[in-house]
Amino acid sequence: MMPITRAPAGEGAPAQPRTLAAPRPTSALAFLAIAALLGLGCWAVLDLRINIATLIDSGRNAAEFAGRMFPLDFPGTGELLRLTGQTLAIVVCATLLSVLLSVPIAVLAASNTTPNRTSRYTSRGLIVVARAVPDVVLAIIFFRVFGLGALTGVLAMGLHSVGMVGKLYADAIEQIDEGPRQAVRAGGASRLQELTSGVLPQVLPAFVAHALHRFDINLRISVVLGFVGVNGLGHEIATAFRQLDYQRGMALALVVLVLCIVIELLSGAIRRALLRSTDRGRRSVSSVPSQRGARSEQRLSPRWTFQRIRRAGYLVLTGLVVLASIWGAELSVGQFFGALGDLGSTLGLFWPPETGGMLPTLLADLWVTVKIALAGTLIGAVLALPIGALAARNVAPRASVAKVFRTIVVTVRGLPELVLAIVFVVITGLGPVAGACALGVGAIGLLGKLVADSLEEVDPGKEQAVRATGASAWQVFCSATVPQAAPAFVGHLLYQLDVNIRSATLLGIVGAGGIGFQLLNASRVLEFGVVTTVMLLVFGTVLVVELLALWLRSVLR
Amino acid sequence: MTVSQFPDPKSGAVTIRFSDVSKHFPPDVVALNDVSFDVRAGEVVVLLGHSGSGKSTLLRQVDGLQRASSGTVSVLGADVGSMRGARARALRRRVGFVFQQFELVGGLTVLENVCTGALGRLRGPRLGLLSYPRSVRREALGQLERVGLAAQAFQRADTLSGGQQQRAAVARALVQRPEILLADEPVASLDPESAAQVMRLIREISVEQGLTVLCSLHQLDLALSWGDRIIGLRSGEVVLDAPSVGLSRESAMEVYTQPAMRSVLTAAG
Ligand SMILES: Nc1ncnc2c1ncn2[C@@H]1O[C@H](COP(=O)(O)OP(=O)(O)O)[C@@H](O)[C@H]1O
Ligand SMILES: [Mg+2]
Repeated sequence: MMPITRAPAGEGAPAQPRTLAAPRPTSALAFLAIAALLGLGCWAVLDLRINIATLIDSGRNAAEFAGRMFPLDFPGTGELLRLTGQTLAIVVCATLLSVLLSVPIAVLAASNTTPNRTSRYTSRGLIVVARAVPDVVLAIIFFRVFGLGALTGVLAMGLHSVGMVGKLYADAIEQIDEGPRQAVRAGGASRLQELTSGVLPQVLPAFVAHALHRFDINLRISVVLGFVGVNGLGHEIATAFRQLDYQRGMALALVVLVLCIVIELLSGAIRRALLRSTDRGRRSVSSVPSQRGARSEQRLSPRWTFQRIRRAGYLVLTGLVVLASIWGAELSVGQFFGALGDLGSTLGLFWPPETGGMLPTLLADLWVTVKIALAGTLIGAVLALPIGALAARNVAPRASVAKVFRTIVVTVRGLPELVLAIVFVVITGLGPVAGACALGVGAIGLLGKLVADSLEEVDPGKEQAVRATGASAWQVFCSATVPQAAPAFVGHLLYQLDVNIRSATLLGIVGAGGIGFQLLNASRVLEFGVVTTVMLLVFGTVLVVELLALWLRSVLR
Repeated sequence: MTVSQFPDPKSGAVTIRFSDVSKHFPPDVVALNDVSFDVRAGEVVVLLGHSGSGKSTLLRQVDGLQRASSGTVSVLGADVGSMRGARARALRRRVGFVFQQFELVGGLTVLENVCTGALGRLRGPRLGLLSYPRSVRREALGQLERVGLAAQAFQRADTLSGGQQQRAAVARALVQRPEILLADEPVASLDPESAAQVMRLIREISVEQGLTVLCSLHQLDLALSWGDRIIGLRSGEVVLDAPSVGLSRESAMEVYTQPAMRSVLTAAG
């Protein structure tokens, strides 16, 4: 629904009148760019020789590998619980750190809450940098300073997550309804009160949902970071593979898989409960009999209704989990400040960037990484578009169909990329094909969800209008649903590409091709200058994609 | 509750004074053009005019939510234009504001929304209903009772109907213990019945508490029945300023007609 014209709070420009403008040359350019990206994706798939025949051909590898994998060798229950606890504690602390950092940064970065331009651009810059510096690189740096332990993982993931959490929080703040906030200000509230009473209540559900979402992501990343010195399950997996102990390694990968799916389902349930409780509030409008209030006249605090008890329960539970995690991760403030002094000299090792005389190799590997990302995104799009569409409640022919496909999406989201990559390394052998396939399948999780969500978010009024003309479900889909969601699709695809370039780098670490392997190698042989070069190369590539995405989004809006 | 005298509107102290106030928006919008008028304590003044005539802009000047380009706005004896930061907030505390879209925070309970009216005199941020002192909660509940919503105190604000939300917004403004109440098209989004209810409420409160009310409306009938005095705005200029008693519909209608149109109408009529 369009808000009724409301004069802006500030003295900004009035809304531009809408006109039937002729298509601008920039949008033609945008379509050209999209077509070019699609073309590159196809070329990457062909160039990497990803096709059914290759996959079948590599079946023999898989069989041979499976032989060395079985029987799976699980560690004892106590050890397993300890490792799992360690991993979860690190992930909880990292996510908490990112939330604590992201809230103030987002307030400074959002256009409607920032005190001035300087702090806005500074904090937007911080967010971009946090996102651009890969978590692996952060982990390599912190590993050097703090050694093997929780601190390395908490800092690496906590700081890197600000790139996503801070951005999403800032976006959520920018999307609030300014009216209630202006009303709070009109009552004489201070700036801080305006934020806590006018802004925070509006963004809180989104804040919690994004934090949970990031928690899921961090859990998967923590496993990969095990390869560069973050404690927990990932580290055990890395050690096992290094010792060619596939029986132990695959057993632990299976544990990670189950853990990720369980956590994904759990956090999904919490997020849904969060949204549902707001819905229910809405629906209770008519069902609350007004006479009941006569008795509550003297009450100054709400009743302990089931909802309130549940909410308090969640709050207490969250508090306990956080406390247990901080305690379990054995974060030592002393260690943190003690080693902080070394941070300077460690960072010195990473500067200046060096090539170790292998710039051509690095560039070639970077190109492979980009190809993996492109191919992965294209495969992902082909898989995720139909799956995502069928997972959308307003598109699927039946509610049950939507449910089934949602479950598929959620399950794939639960699969850690690492496990996917290992599986594909097993099937297709070490190399870029494994990376591209892992990314492609993994994309069902993210892209499928985004596609389904943006289809569900379209204005149902417009769908109804088309349906009212007697159109079939398929026609409604094509002429009302898709056109509304299409600009969002482009945005999601570019976002997936962006994510994939980073992931492709990460997966290189476990042998799925590309520049990631050079990263791991350089840190092993202590050539930190090369680590910096690799990072800058990836950084530059991601930046190009991001600028492209920014431009395309602004043009296609 | 602040005790206000009950001054005779004609002789009461001037609470709002506009002197040659203009407001420009770059590049070339003139939202207010040399507006001058006085409002005395206890008066209920209705601003009447088309959408775009400058009503909201005028009201925002009173609360210091926007500053005039030229001229002075003085409210309760102080120059609004010169106020910044804490002083501006201190003034806002004494001026309640009711908006067309109610502007309650949807996810919070009605009572907590009403409590936010007290933020101006409380120190520090507040999170959750229980973070407000009991005295504030009691006062807020009292105001909810006043507007007939005590039963809905613990419902989420977005579960109320439009009319109920607007009454809750009035209660929120009252918790400020204001001396002036501004209302920007408070009933434009309501059905006629709720509209009359809200206008009656505002009128009654003004009489009970000697509250000065400056309320914009775009419906002539409502203006004539609820205002002591009508100020007509057209393209940012005051084109009418008269007591509503004895004001004919026809002369009030002129607020809406263009000068050129008016001559046509006169010729035709
Ligand atoms: N923030 C602003 N920036 C630019 N122009 C504005 C702004 N606010 C209002 N205006 C313009 O000022 C004029 C008066 O607007 P407003 O005070 O909202 O009128 P009303 O409330 O009577 O409908 C309109 O032409 C409007 O477009
Ligand atoms: Mg207006």
